[in-house]
Amino acid sequence: MNVVNEHKRSGISRRRLMQGVGVGGLATLAPPWLHAARTATGGDDRVLVVFELSGGNDGLNTVVPHGDDAYYRHRPTIGIRSGDLLRLDDHYGFNPGMLGLQRLWGTGDLAIVHGCGYDNPSYSHFTSMAYWHTGVPNGGDEFGWVGRLADALDPGGSPNFLINVASSQSLAVKSRLHAPVVFDDPERFRRKAFASTRAAIEGLPEPGDGGNATRAYLRDVARSAREGARLVRAAWSSYSSPVDYGIAPVDLPKVAACIDGGLPARLYYVSFRNNSFDTHVQQPALHQRLLSYACDAIHGFIRDMERLGHGDRVAVMVFSEFGRRVPENSNLGTDHGAANLMFLAGKPVRGGHYGEPPSLTDLEEGDNLRATVDFRRVYATAIDGWLGKGHASAVLKGDFAPLPIFG
Amino acid sequence: MDGRVSGRPGALSIVAWGLAIAALAQPAWANGAGGEGDLAPLPADAWGRAHAAHLLERAGFGGTPEAVDALAALGLEGAVRRLVHFDGVPGGAVMPEFDHSGVFDPGLDPFPPSRPATTEAAKANGEALGIQVKSGGNRPIQPVVNAFFYWLRASRLETDRVAYWWANRMLATPRPLQEKAALFWHGHFATNEDKVRDYRKMLGQVELFQERGLGNFHALLVAVAKDPAMLAFLDAGINVKGSPNENFAREIMELFTMGPGNYTETDIREGARAFTGWNFRGTEFALNAEDHDDGEKSFLGHTGALDGEDVIAVIMEQEATARFVAAKLYRYFVREDLDPALAEELGRRLGAMDFEIASFLAMLFSSRDFYAPASVATRIKGPVELVVSTYRKLGLEELPGVPDFNVVTGGLGQHLLHPPTVAGWSQGRSWVTPGLLFERGNFVLDVVFPDIAFVPPDRYPPYGGQILAVHERLRSGMDITAATKPPGVDTDADTMAASNLLADRDEAFNTRYGSYRGWQMAIERVKPIPRHTARLDLAGMIRGENLRTPREVVDSLAERFLSVPLDDGTARGLADLLSRELGTDDVAAAATWLEEPLRIVLHALLSLPEYQLG
Repeated sequence: MNVVNEHKRSGISRRRLMQGVGVGGLATLAPPWLHAARTATGGDDRVLVVFELSGGNDGLNTVVPHGDDAYYRHRPTIGIRSGDLLRLDDHYGFNPGMLGLQRLWGTGDLAIVHGCGYDNPSYSHFTSMAYWHTGVPNGGDEFGWVGRLADALDPGGSPNFLINVASSQSLAVKSRLHAPVVFDDPERFRRKAFASTRAAIEGLPEPGDGGNATRAYLRDVARSAREGARLVRAAWSSYSSPVDYGIAPVDLPKVAACIDGGLPARLYYVSFRNNSFDTHVQQPALHQRLLSYACDAIHGFIRDMERLGHGDRVAVMVFSEFGRRVPENSNLGTDHGAANLMFLAGKPVRGGHYGEPPSLTDLEEGDNLRATVDFRRVYATAIDGWLGKGHASAVLKGDFAPLPIFG
Repeated sequence: MDGRVSGRPGALSIVAWGLAIAALAQPAWANGAGGEGDLAPLPADAWGRAHAAHLLERAGFGGTPEAVDALAALGLEGAVRRLVHFDGVPGGAVMPEFDHSGVFDPGLDPFPPSRPATTEAAKANGEALGIQVKSGGNRPIQPVVNAFFYWLRASRLETDRVAYWWANRMLATPRPLQEKAALFWHGHFATNEDKVRDYRKMLGQVELFQERGLGNFHALLVAVAKDPAMLAFLDAGINVKGSPNENFAREIMELFTMGPGNYTETDIREGARAFTGWNFRGTEFALNAEDHDDGEKSFLGHTGALDGEDVIAVIMEQEATARFVAAKLYRYFVREDLDPALAEELGRRLGAMDFEIASFLAMLFSSRDFYAPASVATRIKGPVELVVSTYRKLGLEELPGVPDFNVVTGGLGQHLLHPPTVAGWSQGRSWVTPGLLFERGNFVLDVVFPDIAFVPPDRYPPYGGQILAVHERLRSGMDITAATKPPGVDTDADTMAASNLLADRDEAFNTRYGSYRGWQMAIERVKPIPRHTARLDLAGMIRGENLRTPREVVDSLAERFLSVPLDDGTARGLADLLSRELGTDDVAAAATWLEEPLRIVLHALLSLPEYQLG
């Protein structure tokens, strides 16, 4: 453990420690504009990678409060015993699959934000995920928060600014001004054709859309494909890495290749797909395995960025659409819940605990954790604290105080 | 329903966009330009060939010019009756049944939820999956682990054969709406073989959708609620008295009938109690009376000793249900944007029709709204529709084995029987990304110029090199432990990934060996998918049309394949391409070398963004 994390173990009261470690526990008490002033000089080459855990990750069995007896009362069967955890401190330990994040924690490159959520939480995957994607809980928006952020950072709508590695585009990256580059397999991100056919197709004129909005949309997609594919493929073919990203690297090597390949993108969006974290049944082995994949990948990515000399300009944000019910269910699993953890990882991050851990005894109706941090504060942290320029209130349509996670 | 409750990623924006358009052009739903929003029937004399082409595209998978002509000749009412009620279509079982490989063994059911659960059961009971733990020797649980992986692979491969069988029906059936409706319901009541892990249940569900997908929605809903694939998928099988599991009760309301915002968390919990004891045994529904909670429940204002069918009956009474189901059908078959007033009216009509799906679709397919410019060629074809309709328009009667149908549609985002989540596939614009637009064109290339390096994915493990690496190491004489260490990974304990460190520490069995052996056992029993390529004759296809110039050929192909008119500049560019490939502008003179240039230009044409519209 390094110095940064030593701070956290000598705490006076746990609550105070949670209030933002690294600057004496006072940081979140300062008015938000001070942080904005200090961090508004973010460089134009800074990159944010948003990493989605779809399905509702069980935060309580991710960062386990082994120091709280209530945890074991709620989870007599699937609660992870203290001795099995990757221990962080007297109160918390990681799920044993999380070796990757434990390593990042050890080097001070991981911030854990406790209690993230929103009022009147939805227990529907799709509704809640749409709230997180748009950044508009109990509402919605035509565009995603990452898409709106792209528009704010780059009002010119320049090509290849926003990349979504996915089989279908996330609502989070939907943008008014940018055509996101969306691809899955970089090797296949190309038009297979005879050279003469390709030249002919690419030389075809841009017809009007005849008032057909779907046609106009397809034309935009075609433009983005033309502009992005060559760059992405070139980046991928010149990339190789000795870093172990684990069994399921969740598309992060592709992001690493794009960053190292010099693509102009500043925003990346990837997902641990297919509702994988929806662990209603037989959770323990499955959840540990899923976490090992995700954490191995994030750790590999951060180390790879350092190796390639981009460590100082890349940060990763991790979220899930909700946490899970505090008491376990009768099927060795957990049901849809509310407040949850978020992570920020990378060299620019000041490692430690942030936010206010929700009580395990004073639960919301339905046995759920009370949100103590509006998740948009974490978005604001990534926007104003990291990418800079004070765009958070415009992008998030309101003022959300950033947390002092970035320098 | 409004933008707030639609809830699906992507849906909000489409609704908002629709509202914006509606606000500009449409003060009221019933009086739109060109019939938009008008549910009154199209006047019979307005019907023409273009209408027939549009109807065949939406109520089926498109067709050849001859098929369009035949439908056009029936007139509006006749065409709708033909497609929806199968008037004039030969009765009986015209399509072949699924041909089982015979991969199932009795000990495999019930199949444990995971490999760890299987091996723990073997350790505790001395047997699992019908196989006993070895009484001595090395790796005593290995045969059980092999059987576990055997069934994972065999069920998955057999499910891909079910998908082939189904897609062949879509291609060749004289009742295309039956398959199209089944495809719709498969996306609506989405279940995934990855979780169900039993091809027999997946097949049973497809057959249910084929048989009842155009019948009564209430009856369909009850049948789905008792369907073993659905029960397995939503964990209803473990929903028992005293510990209700809410997964099914939640999804039936949120995704299948009402949409979020029309019920409370209490309704979910009470509903879950009503479904307790609903289970399956093999491929049959089973009601386990001792697991059923017959106490009093209070659900959406109704109180009593409700059971699952009572709860469904209450759901069917809700206005939200008619609205939700009607809107979902409309968005699939007509267009994505739906103004709230029209949605209200559609819900009212579906309710008034007692939820008879066929009547509702016949009403939609007859309406002026369906043929309005806002509806025609404004829908992005889903991957399965794209592939099947391409083959149909090429005149094929059997699905090619090269390229592999499941690999193509899966790569495009729609692997049949594997929807990504319980919400099914997001429709509309989410089908196309920059990467996927290329893939759609690449599919056409693989049809017109088959890949001679094609490797059948049902014979050779397609998921990475892990299994093949194990195979090669064992063949070279390594022992199992050495052969199954992950190759090419740094084995320093400080940097090796947790998943790799943990993979092989239990010496009672070896997971990677089981995976390898399971694959061998599966391909021994699963029948191979026939691997013929598409046999095309594009020159013959257009021969009768007496086309003289490259431009006439391009216009003819565009008419045959596209739902929107090709603009002049693009048509000229494609004609230039054809002219260069032919080496002449005289098509007749090039009759003997026409085929390959035609394939090149067809590939270019079908790679256009416009080809994605249907």
